[in-house]
Amino acid sequence: MIDIIHVSKTYPKQQVKAVDDVSLHIDSGEFFGLLGPNGAGKTTLIRILVTLLLPTSGEVQINNQVLTRKRADLKKKLSIITQENSLRYDMTLDQVMEWQARLYHIPLAVMRERREELLDFCGLTEHRKKTVRKLSGGMKRKLMLCRALLTDPEILILDEPTIGLDPASRRQMWDLLRRLNEKGLTVLMTTHYIEEAQSLCQRVALINKGKVVRLDTPAELISQLGPVAVDEFDGSQTRSSFFPTKEEALAYAESITNKFNMRSTTLEDVFLDIVGSGLEVV
Amino acid sequence: MGIVTVLWEKWVEFKYEWFKITTSALISPLLYMIALGWGLGATTTVTDRPYIDFLVPGIIALTTMNTSFSAVGLSLNVQRLFEHSFDHIIISPTPISQYIVGQMLGGSLRGMYSGCLILLLSIPFGATMHISPMFFLVMLLNGMVFAALGVLAAVLAATHSDISRFSTFVILPMTFLCNTFFPLDRIPTAIKVIIDVLPLTHASGLLRSMAYGSAPNLWSVLILALYALVFMVLANAVINRRKNI
Repeated sequence: MIDIIHVSKTYPKQQVKAVDDVSLHIDSGEFFGLLGPNGAGKTTLIRILVTLLLPTSGEVQINNQVLTRKRADLKKKLSIITQENSLRYDMTLDQVMEWQARLYHIPLAVMRERREELLDFCGLTEHRKKTVRKLSGGMKRKLMLCRALLTDPEILILDEPTIGLDPASRRQMWDLLRRLNEKGLTVLMTTHYIEEAQSLCQRVALINKGKVVRLDTPAELISQLGPVAVDEFDGSQTRSSFFPTKEEALAYAESITNKFNMRSTTLEDVFLDIVGSGLEVV
Repeated sequence: MGIVTVLWEKWVEFKYEWFKITTSALISPLLYMIALGWGLGATTTVTDRPYIDFLVPGIIALTTMNTSFSAVGLSLNVQRLFEHSFDHIIISPTPISQYIVGQMLGGSLRGMYSGCLILLLSIPFGATMHISPMFFLVMLLNGMVFAALGVLAAVLAATHSDISRFSTFVILPMTFLCNTFFPLDRIPTAIKVIIDVLPLTHASGLLRSMAYGSAPNLWSVLILALYALVFMVLANAVINRRKNI
């Protein structure tokens, strides 16, 4: 469905290669995560995917067709929740939804029906006559989701979708994304919340310094590092060690004198392991 | 389709801020008419006509210019650099060319609204003018030129200050020099050649000749249309080809 083919992006003024020869294939109906530290190139890649940025080299294909700013037919398949709240501040919630429908050529009768459902689902119905500038940060994120889903996209791209949401709203959004994915929606997500990626994504690509350094399922990435972790505190810092089996982890724990804690390895451990080391590109 | 979408957006924007839009469109022209019409120009005549008759078409030309440019340029600048809502236009399937034409029409209608307010405002100042349908069409065309320039300036501006600087270096000089407040016959030839090329000179000249009851100069109409087309094509090329919008 989505093919990112040898995409690189250099910002000439800063002489920074934000994305460096990235190639990825995302299947139809897949829930795919992009993880990486700040400045890794995730948002640059997302902006290239929606044509806000044009790559220095390489291309993006949707259903084997090259995506450009002029390909309205391909752009219609995409919806995005950008990191910034890209909303018109002087529009009401109803107007934001109507504006979206008009931009995506959705009949107004269809828009009204979907708008009711989506605003109701996100608990925004009572705020519908307010202008965007009067909404809280969390409400703006929910409105972004409503707007993105209004167009009934085939591909949903989410750049840090749950930033600014309280834990309950975040869980609510996870459930919704899961349900949408189960219905066949392809989801591509970047997030800082590692547990979010571990819980939702079928595959994740870990990006560091513009390059894909790991690409696999969360379970396989954890397995590669070692599914059992031992944290030991030496009085000044905590150090984690990873083992393929519980027996090996116990044997190690018995050999150390520091306080320790044994637990299951998480995707966050994989992430920290990669960020903390100069790993080679896969 | 995309054109109607932008016109709807402009209407929403207008409904939200109509009072501010209306009052801000009136303040400068009112001051010009008091200071230059009643004050400095009270005993002055230009080509045997009261100065106020010369002044009002010029003020209408510069007001349609300013309003159309601001309605599009400032608004898009905020949408692009502060709200980031312009990103959404690029992402959407609405063709950029239709979006630009919609902005041009929306901006020029706002300019024409301001021009009509000046026409009403000029009545108590005793200005006499022949108003024909062509007079309104020229206002619309002038608005389209500067709305297209507004799109271009907004997508080229790297900061909010850039759009103000653009106004200072491009719009402000035209406001004062382009056949708006005084006739150009005493201007040194070298400067007049430059002024004669600028679009506002043609808009002022056209509106004034029609207000005096003469036929419009079709060359000027053609030049304004050409400016609108060139700015539109440039804006379209910049938005479609710019690596980082």
